[in-house]
This record gives sequence, structure tokens and C-alpha cells, in this order.
Amino acid sequence: MSMEPRVKEWKFMLKRVRETPLALAGVAIIIFFILIALLAPVLAPPTYSDPFKIPQDKEIYSLTPNPTPPTLTHIFGTSDQQYDIYYACIWGTITAFRVGLTVVLISLIIGLILGVAAAYYGGILDEILMRFTDIIIAFPGLILAMALVLAFPAAIPINLSSIFLVVSIICSFVIIMARSDRKLLLVTQMIVVAFLVSYIYQPIVLHLEITNLDKVLFAIAIVGWPGYARLIRGEILRVKNEDYIEAAKAAGSSDFRIITRHILPNTIYPLLVVVSMDVGSIVLTAAALSFLGIGAPIDYADWGQMISRSRAWIRNPEMLASNFHTFFIPGLFITLFSLGWNLLGDALRDVLDPMLRRR
Amino acid sequence: MTDEEILEVENLVVRFYTYEGIVEALDGVNLKIRKGEILGLVGETGCGKSVTSLSTLVLVPPPGSIEAGKIFLKTQGKKVNLLEQDRETLRTVRGSEISMVFQEPRAYLNPVYSVENQISEVLLVHRKEEFLKRAIETIKKKKKGSNFELKLYQRMLEKPKSLTTKLLSKFTSKRTLKMELHNEVVALLKNMEIPDPERVAKMYPHELSGGMAQRVVIAMALSCNPKILLADEPTTNLDVTVQAQILQLVSLLRKNFQSSILYVTHDLGVVAEICDRVAVMYAGNVVETADVFEIFNNPLHPYTKALLESIPRPGKEFKSIPGVVPSLIKPPRGCRFHDRCDFAMEVCRKVKPQFLEVKKDHFVACHLYGGSK
Amino acid sequence: MTSLIAYITRRLIFLIFVLIGVTLMIFAITMLFSPEIRAYLYIRNIQHVTPDVIRSVIEKYGLNDPFYLQFSRWLGQVLQGNLGWSQSSAQPVAEAILTRWPYTFEIVIFAAPLIIFFGIYLGVQAGVHRNGIIDHVTRVFSIIGYSLPSFWLGLLLLSVFYGKLGWLPPGALSYEAEQAVHASSFVRYTHIDLIDGILNGQFWITLDVLKHVILPVIVIVVIDIAVLVRVMRSSMLESLSKQYVTAARAKGLDEKTVIYKHARRNALIPVATLSGMLVAGLLGGLVITETVFGFGGLGQWAASAAIGLDVPAVLGYAMLSALLFVIANLIVDIMYAYIDPRIRLE
Repeated sequence: MSMEPRVKEWKFMLKRVRETPLALAGVAIIIFFILIALLAPVLAPPTYSDPFKIPQDKEIYSLTPNPTPPTLTHIFGTSDQQYDIYYACIWGTITAFRVGLTVVLISLIIGLILGVAAAYYGGILDEILMRFTDIIIAFPGLILAMALVLAFPAAIPINLSSIFLVVSIICSFVIIMARSDRKLLLVTQMIVVAFLVSYIYQPIVLHLEITNLDKVLFAIAIVGWPGYARLIRGEILRVKNEDYIEAAKAAGSSDFRIITRHILPNTIYPLLVVVSMDVGSIVLTAAALSFLGIGAPIDYADWGQMISRSRAWIRNPEMLASNFHTFFIPGLFITLFSLGWNLLGDALRDVLDPMLRRR
Repeated sequence: MTDEEILEVENLVVRFYTYEGIVEALDGVNLKIRKGEILGLVGETGCGKSVTSLSTLVLVPPPGSIEAGKIFLKTQGKKVNLLEQDRETLRTVRGSEISMVFQEPRAYLNPVYSVENQISEVLLVHRKEEFLKRAIETIKKKKKGSNFELKLYQRMLEKPKSLTTKLLSKFTSKRTLKMELHNEVVALLKNMEIPDPERVAKMYPHELSGGMAQRVVIAMALSCNPKILLADEPTTNLDVTVQAQILQLVSLLRKNFQSSILYVTHDLGVVAEICDRVAVMYAGNVVETADVFEIFNNPLHPYTKALLESIPRPGKEFKSIPGVVPSLIKPPRGCRFHDRCDFAMEVCRKVKPQFLEVKKDHFVACHLYGGSK
Repeated sequence: MTSLIAYITRRLIFLIFVLIGVTLMIFAITMLFSPEIRAYLYIRNIQHVTPDVIRSVIEKYGLNDPFYLQFSRWLGQVLQGNLGWSQSSAQPVAEAILTRWPYTFEIVIFAAPLIIFFGIYLGVQAGVHRNGIIDHVTRVFSIIGYSLPSFWLGLLLLSVFYGKLGWLPPGALSYEAEQAVHASSFVRYTHIDLIDGILNGQFWITLDVLKHVILPVIVIVVIDIAVLVRVMRSSMLESLSKQYVTAARAKGLDEKTVIYKHARRNALIPVATLSGMLVAGLLGGLVITETVFGFGGLGQWAASAAIGLDVPAVLGYAMLSALLFVIANLIVDIMYAYIDPRIRLE
């Protein structure tokens, strides 16, 4: 009934993606990086117990701390203080995926929840959200991210019971606003469970250590969620007034059902495009922050971090020329990674267009 | 082509190349429009009516393309195949010899320009010399406007293509010319019985009501006295009362200007009211063409018959045509109506019937009437 | 016409609201810190700090007063131009902004017109000749453009044109020009060296600026033009598929008029918003690019301030950005309403 056209749309979309050379190039690049990430332990066996710690060549270091050009032992050469660039680039791939996907996930979840709530329930909730996102967007993003990174504490004490309480309060709120007959029962069940659980787990307090890189992730996610919230809200508002929603309401579907079965599947496509391109641009932003020195520490395998040493040579033409490989190669990785995702996103957007117009 | 006919569409084939396949939109359409007549083009949605009218202007949008056939227009005494003309010639035809009015008038007006702007545009394209002369006359007689303007207009008449002329005309105000155009626009709007035409001229499309917008579009279409007006469902989106007014206007036009009108619609009531002749289309073909009285009293093609029978009448049982309009991507062989036709024969499944004159001035494409000659 | 004025007034009110919201939020963030920590912001010499000093500072500046009192006091200071003291640059925040702004301006004055002009032109061409050569080429170059990390491109260009060739050095001015500009004989009419050079008759200074500005401008243009081209293209495609374009052709208008008069004007609407935001963002400082080239503009200063946890500086910068955002929005709204008469009714 309603499944058939949707399956057809997916198949159509995939077929079109397969036909576009740019999309295929993008997918190929992404697969290339996935392979590197998966094969990292084979391609560049770790020296330390933490595989993300870059090995230093102590022999050459005793001779000179300056970067050395590519040789057989160090395929991409070494950077300042003799860190192996090849190793950093290989394991940096995993870091890149981690950064991109985590940030997108966090931003998406926050943005989705708030965007859906604002769009579906409208009224004051919508107004407040819109003004709030307006204000965040008015902030200079990069600076805000930097400030957040620096202001974050190094370790957060997390009280499990308080988390449970907060989560259950949010769920209760959602249930209350939903048009469901069983809500009173559900809410009561929820609150009872919450209290029981929090009583049991009261003494357990975790200390979550947060690395600099994690702070970067959170910071970018916090700066990024308004974009998703507004996009989802816009799409939902577009769909909300369509006739099939009226029909579903008239047939008596609950709000939850309407949202999941009707609204979300129809609003998801532009989101796919944005997500795909965001993975690329988030990695760029994270690299920029690392480049400025705020991201990963010096011996951590991260592409942006590798390039940050170059800041010292800006006024020094000889160093710039001779150490070309130290920033060229990691930067190439960043560019290609970002390119792959952008190609995919762009191709998806092109495919979406005729699909949207066919509706 | 007889003396009376001014437009003839001969075996027009149009295909649309879409992602889902090739749509055989028009499968050899035959149509003739006579001078001063209102020809109704009837058919269900998707039968190809709009594509036909767009094709006469050679304006089929991609992914469509005109594959075969001829479109003859009688212009300046000669019979010219529009499909063989270059773009320059086509542009002189569009808007001045053949004009088009569309279904949703406000969608067909550019939202960022005023009514006056858009109508003046057409006037300038096709009647530029006339207005330049008028402007020159006005300056000479009424002593309005500067000497510079006078010289400029004269130059625009004599050397329109020179670079200096173009530069000069672009950067000067040309007040008199604009005034002349403005007056003409107001006159045109008045002819369409638009109240307060001075004010309407300055308005933007979104400020107009549906009926008003349609009058504006008709005014624009008639501004260069076309021989043929293509009206593509001009009243479908309007209230019934407004529709009646527009229809009145349309028949007045035919009376006053002797223009022919191709009135595309799916509403048989409208057809009965104003059309002289009717062409019935089904799934990309014209299946029957005749005088309006003939069509209603003596329909020959099974589809026409079924169509007329399906008009709901009080006291009569509600009758519809069984089946669905076939997909035009893989259209049925033979006659495209055969799977829904009460009178289908073996030959209908295999051979496409020809469009023949079966009675005087009554054309049908059906094997019942010897369509296989 | 009155509808236009009414519309602008409505937008102005909305944007003032946003500005107030931002300042409130900024202030609220600072109030999250305890009065003791905030007292440090008023102390210039951190070495000789004792609890007594802190207590006296808290008293003197009323750091324990209720929220609204502190906010109005702070707002009053801001409106008078006192944005606090920047530790990282050892000067008042307002002064830091004023001295650094001209450098950012020198880059933006070249980058912005290039981006907008060529972005629109290429986008229109790509849209009109869909799937043609120019479309494919701009598409590929666009995607590559916004996949490039700005610091990488900057470093690359620098290493080639400075490292290898020595033609285009980093920084905003050469040493000699720097000396000349601060000399007593040089009158700083606008504080923008590019212009002052001409006004003082010392054209070599202007040339010097140009030499330093080329590479940063290239980096910015390459990366930002990509986004504009893509948006212009898709907007143009959308516009060309509209019914009034078919109608324009049916009127017998030549293709050029159809494209440039009818389609393009409608297509420019979303592009206008984007351009406005873009220019506002650029004027606010190009953090990464300025850092790479050591240009000494707002962006570089903001970056070092953020790294140094220089709270007043970061706040001052945030306020500046918000102000630019609001002004840009207003200008965009005015342009919008001029291009599209429908907006005036909203």
C-alpha cells in the first residue's frame, strides 16, 4: 500500500546514483578510506599499546629534530620531532571517520528531536526554538567552537542516577504532549521505574575523561545542531500540511505513528544530502581546529594535527620549501576524504531533484 | 490547405524521453483551424491537448521533442512549415501571429515584474517601429519630450542594430516611448473590461485575483493582434461566474478581431457554449473532428459517444467508461482505444485507424468507418 | 512604496531583537563564572594578586550585584565603546578591533566582489547550459573547491610562491612599508593602508599591500565561490523550469531576454541571502586564512584570543560578529524586498 512506492523510490535513487560518474567516484573514494581504516593494523602496525600514538624515529631524532623527506623506511617522510607521517596518515583515517560520524550523529539526534518537536507542535515551542537557533547561528561558529573546546573541563563526573532522572523526565514530557490515551499510565510507569533505578545506582559515579579531541567533537556538534534542527523543521512544515497527513489524522493514527510512518520517510531525503556533505566539512573543521593547536595532542594520529607544526615556518621560505611533504601529504588525505563525501552528497542532491519534481 | 484554413497540423509526433521510458505523447495528430473559428480541443487529462497547443509554437519543453509531422501556418499569403523555420522566424510568429493563454494565469506571469512591464515587453518585441513612430509624432505635435529623444527614436528606426544605437537606448530614459506604451497597455486592459486599468497596470501578479489575472494574460496575448489564439484551459481554475465572463470575452474577441481560437478544455459544457467545431483527443490522437452540433447530435467515434454518455444527467444512471487511459510509455498497438471500446474488432487490435473524412466536414479515426483504407 | 518601508521596519525590529538576544546570551555565559574568576578580567597585572585585591575588585565593579544591574552596567559600557581589556593582545578590546579591522577589510574588498560576480556568472551559465561542458567543469571545480582545507591551500600557495619563488610573501605589509606607514610624515586618513597609500601619494605602499593580499584572496575566493556557484546553478535551474519562462518564450522574446531578464532575477533571490551571509562572515574575519598568512586581521586576533582564553576579547568579537550578521541580514532583506515584490507583504 504505502510501502511499494517507497521501495521503488529507493531503487530508483540507487540506480541513478550508479549511473553518475561523480557519485561513483565519491563512493570509490569513501570505500578506499574505509579499507585503509579497516586495514590500519596491517598497513601500519602500531608501536605502542595505544595505536593512535605515532611512533618517533629515535635514531634520526638523535641527529636532528627537523623533518626528513620520504625514504624507504619512512614512506611519507617524517615531521617535526621525527614522527612518521605515513603512520599518522593511516591511523588518522580512523580518527577522521570517528570525528565525522560521531559529530554528525550527535548533531543529528539533537537537531532531529528539537526540530521535530518544534515543527509538529508549533506555537511557542517553535518560536523559542527558532529564536534560539537564530542566535546560535549569529555566533561566529569557529570561534564558538574554539571557546567551547577550551572551556570544557578535562573530566566530567557523571552521576548515573541523575542521567536516568533527566532522561525519564524528557520521555515523560514527550508522552504528555503526545495525543495518546494511555499516557497517564505510561508516565506513571516511567516515573516509578526512574526512581527505582536511580535509587539503586545512586552511589555509582563515573569520571569520564575527555580528551581534547573529544572536546572538539562536542564543540562542533553543539555549533552544528541548529542547522539540522532548522532543516528538519522546514521539511516537516512542508509535509505537515499535505493531504495525506490530514487523512492519517482523520483515520485516527496516533501522533507517534504519523511522525514515524508518514512524516519522517518523506522528509529524510534532503537530510541525507546534508549529512553526507557534513561528514566532509566536519572533518575539515576539526582539522582546522587541530591546525590551530586546539585539537589532538602532538603525538596523536590526526591529519590536522600533523599540519599544525607548519605554522612555525610561515615566515621561513626555506623551511616551507623543504618541509613541503609534512603538510602536503596529510592535507591531501583531508582533501580526498572531504572530496569523497562531498561528491556523494552532490550526486544525491542531483538525484533528489528530479525525484522531488516527480512527486 | 483550403483558403479558409490558417493552421494545419499534419501527423504530428511528439515523444518525451523520461527516466521511466519514452512517452509517446502525440502519435500523429491532425488538426485544422479555419479563419475566425473557435475550435474546441477536448479530451481527458493527459491525452495530449496541451502538448499539441505548445507544439504549434514549437515550444515543447525538454525532455520532449517533436519527432515528425508538419505544422503549416498561412502567413503573408504563403503556407509555411513552422517546424522547418529557424529561431528568428519562430520568434516573430510567437506572440504576434500565434498567441497563447495558459491555465494558471498567475503562474504564467513573472512575479517580480509589474503587469505594465510584461505587456510592454510584448509590444516592444513585435510592434516596436509602430511605437517609435508614435513617439516621434507625439514629440513633434505636442512638443513634449526633448529633441534628443526625437533624434534617438529616429535613429532607432533607421539603424536599429548599430552598437551606438543600442548603447544610447540602454542608458537613456525614453520617457515618451514609455508613455506611449503605457497608454496602449491601459487601452488594452480597458478592452478586457478590467476596472481601473491605470491602477492595475502598476500592479504585480500576486496582487491580482484569478479572473483579473486571466484577463491581463488575454490582454497580453491579444496585444499584437494574433491570427490565432491558443487558449489552454483558461477557465479551469476559475470560479464559474468568472468563467462565464471570460467565455463572453472570448466570443466577443472572435467577433471583433476575426481571430481564430483553439480552445483546449476537458469541459464539454464550455465546448457546447462557444465552439464552432470540435476536435476530440484520446491518448495522443485526434479521434474525431466535426461541427459542434454534429459532434453532440451525431457522434461517430465510440470514445466520443462514451464521453457524451458519461455526462451526468438527473434521472439517468451514472455511466462511466470502463478501464483506464493506457500508459503512453508502451502504448497499445493498433487503435489506442480498443481495450475500452464496446465496438472493438480484431483489426482494431492490430492496425491503427486512419483519420478520414467520413461525412462532409466530419473526420473520424475508427475502423468502423473504414479507417483501414 | 509604503509596503517596502513597513517591511524594512518590521525586519529591523526583529533583528534588534536578535542582537539583544545575542548580547544577553553572551553576558549570561560570563555570569556563569563566579565573581572571583570574573574579577581577574579587571586586573592587568596578574602577578601580584592577593585575596584582598580580588575582594576590592569585586566591590569596585559590583560583581556581586543582581543580574539586571550588572547587565545594564555592562550594556552601558558597551554602548560607550568600552569592551573590556584584552589580555592576549595587551590593549583594550575596542582598540584591538579597530586596529586590526583594516587588514581584514583589505582582503574582503577584493574577495567579496570576485566571489559574488563570478559566482553568479558561472552559476547562471552552468544552469542555462545544463549538462554542458561549462556545467560539468564548474561542478567538478566547485566540489573540489569546497573540499579543500583553507589552511592547506594557503600553505601550498605560500610554499610555492614564497618558499620556492619568493614572489608573494606572507603578512600584511613588508618591513619597509610597515615603517613607512607608521612614520610621522604619513597621514592615516582611513587607517586602511591600501587606500592611505594612494591618498598620501606613495603608490608603492598600495602595491605592497596588493602583493601581500593576492594569495589570501585566492584562497578565500577558491573555497567560497564554489558554494555560491552551486546555489546559483540550482536556483537558476529551478527558475528556468517555471511556467513564466515558457510564457516569456511564447511571447516571442529572444532567449537572452528570457534568461537574463526573467529567469535570472527570480533565481537571484536565494543567492542574495547567501551572498549577504557570506560577506558578513568574511568581514567578521577569516580565522584560518589570516593565521596561515600571518595577516594580522580580526580573524587571527580572535583565534589567538580564543586560544589564550581571553574572555573579553572573545566576547567582544562575538558581539562584532553578531552586529555584522544583523546588518547583513538587514541589507539582504532590503535587497530581497526590492527584487521580489511579494516579500513586502510578509
